[in-house]
Amino acid sequence: MRVPGRRAGFDRAVESYFGALYRYAYWLCRNRWQAEDIVQESLLRAWRAWPALREERALKSWLFTIVHREHLRAATRVPHTHSDAGAEEAGYDPDPGGALDMEQALQELADDSREALLLQVLGGFTCAEIAQVLGASEGAVMTRLTRARQALRRQLGAAGGATGTAREPRTA
Amino acid sequence: MNCLEFRRAAMVDPRRLDTEALGHAEGCPACGVFLAEALEFEAQIRNSLDIPVPHGLQERVVRNAVDAPRISRRQALAAGLALVAAAGGAGLLWRRDDPLALAGIDFVVFEEAQAILDAKPADAASLQRAAYQTGIVLPAQLGEIRYVGTCPFAGGTAHHVVLKTTFGKATLLLLPGRPFGTRLIASARGLHAAITPASGGSVAIIADSSRSISRIETVLKSG
Repeated sequence: MRVPGRRAGFDRAVESYFGALYRYAYWLCRNRWQAEDIVQESLLRAWRAWPALREERALKSWLFTIVHREHLRAATRVPHTHSDAGAEEAGYDPDPGGALDMEQALQELADDSREALLLQVLGGFTCAEIAQVLGASEGAVMTRLTRARQALRRQLGAAGGATGTAREPRTA
Repeated sequence: MNCLEFRRAAMVDPRRLDTEALGHAEGCPACGVFLAEALEFEAQIRNSLDIPVPHGLQERVVRNAVDAPRISRRQALAAGLALVAAAGGAGLLWRRDDPLALAGIDFVVFEEAQAILDAKPADAASLQRAAYQTGIVLPAQLGEIRYVGTCPFAGGTAHHVVLKTTFGKATLLLLPGRPFGTRLIASARGLHAAITPASGGSVAIIADSSRSISRIETVLKSG
């Protein structure tokens, strides 16, 4: 028996977060087909567990947590043998210059740093929320985010000012 | 706030700086430039991550989720495990890795997190009842009990206990009324499992080392 309003609430959530959930899954596994499977299985779990959802305001982090866990499960089930890196996405025409460099740099980040960065950029989560999704401490998440940005800047040769080398910062 | 603190904060999340940090950037030209460049860099990251969602995927996923048959993966796993247990009884017990003990490891690896997420936690009284029926006691020396619930396992219902021990995390599956004649063991996916007979049933213990399992068995026997 469906809880009244369940379908409407589920549809609203999907409408709000589907794009971000798919992109999060894609950047975790770097494989379009696997990302589709992860999102499919995640939303199936979300739909079934929907009646038990008690806090609507925790909805977004709950959905991202399910995707994160489903990715871990999928990675355990099927060894990741290849990615879509360089594969042409239908209707996707990235800037062949900087965008591809950025993609490559993102791919080379450590997994834990990339996960934290994806949650922040795609999900718009705070460090505390990211910590909850990843099961890490807030301090660890802050470190991962800093490392992620440092690595990206290093690899992309970002402007010296952004890395703090152009001008000496005031320390007092 | 000084420049170093500002830049640390900006490297964590340049789009969510507090008023003190923003005030510093306004008053410090070098950090103002740093922030402008950091925000521009954020936009580049965002653009790179913003891949298109395949056409029709959202509708397809929702349709499949909402219209899927009601049998859950956990139920399917339970049926599968029953089959594995039956096969074990039919003659596969020559293997060192016992299928039922392996099923315990698979439960922890694939299903435990979702079981905790989905299930309504049971109370301490029901755990004590299950322990009594199984013929064991759960002394405090076992460690801190972090979760108690029930789950389908090997064709029946198991009482699922997650422990935080001094040796790390461990999972117990209490199987009242299901005594196995001998101790069954397996090791896979970086985990070890043992199914230990008790007077009223059996207890499956899954942990990341055989040492943890031995210790838990010792505590259970002494309880």
